[in-house]
Amino acid sequence: MTVDQAQTTPAPVIENAEAPAMVGPWKVVVLNDPVNLMSYVVLVFRKVFGYNESTARKHMLEVHEQGRSIVWCGLREQAEHFAFVLQQWHLTAILERNETD
Amino acid sequence: MKRIEVKLSLAVVAPLLDVVKSVGDSLHDDLAAPVQLEQIDDDLRNDWRDELIAAQNGDVANLLALFDSEFFSTGVVNLDEDNADAILRACAAVRLCLRQRHLRKVSDEDLEGSDILLEELPEDQRRAFMCYLFLATVQELVIEHLEPAEYTDGAQS
Repeated sequence: MTVDQAQTTPAPVIENAEAPAMVGPWKVVVLNDPVNLMSYVVLVFRKVFGYNESTARKHMLEVHEQGRSIVWCGLREQAEHFAFVLQQWHLTAILERNETD
Repeated sequence: MKRIEVKLSLAVVAPLLDVVKSVGDSLHDDLAAPVQLEQIDDDLRNDWRDELIAAQNGDVANLLALFDSEFFSTGVVNLDEDNADAILRACAAVRLCLRQRHLRKVSDEDLEGSDILLEELPEDQRRAFMCYLFLATVQELVIEHLEPAEYTDGAQS
């Protein structure tokens, strides 16, 4: 992965972006921080994942209220890509193995 | 292309730019927020970090470039769709760094609620907090006026 790829890769087309299926071997998790604006976090989720407003807002509120939200699940390479881009947007994103998968 | 001109008070904003510049410079070799890379392969980890820093530096340069000679003569900064994303990210980076280095004593609750009395803060924290608020305002302006509508409908919290 390169920075250029991360900056220019358009948001992927996610089937049923309103309620993406959270299945796959790797999870992308965003942790809460007290700094980033709620509107900024919603915007980032929409840009990076192509989520609609309500899905992005649901994940933002999970982060805000529960301290973390699983924002995407899938194959490792794509999970790494998403984690990188989220970190580029200065969200606290981590990768976790999906033990339930 | 969407574009906005923002007229700022030179007297208020100019002193804050020293803080932005100082924080921006201090981020040259460092990330604004620590990243957890435990799950990343060893051979990828250094490249990952280096590319994040390079991207961050580019974004901060874009932010600082807003405050050029035109700004110091007119007080106007120009924001457009081309620099919007970089400005948003740079503001986030500098705000995170301000939080880490200058506003550590402020509680999360106070920071999120902005329930802070400026006059009660020591001078260095006061400027840092004003800068923190100023950059949030810049982010809100960009989100409201420059981001495509499909990303911003109802996005304000």
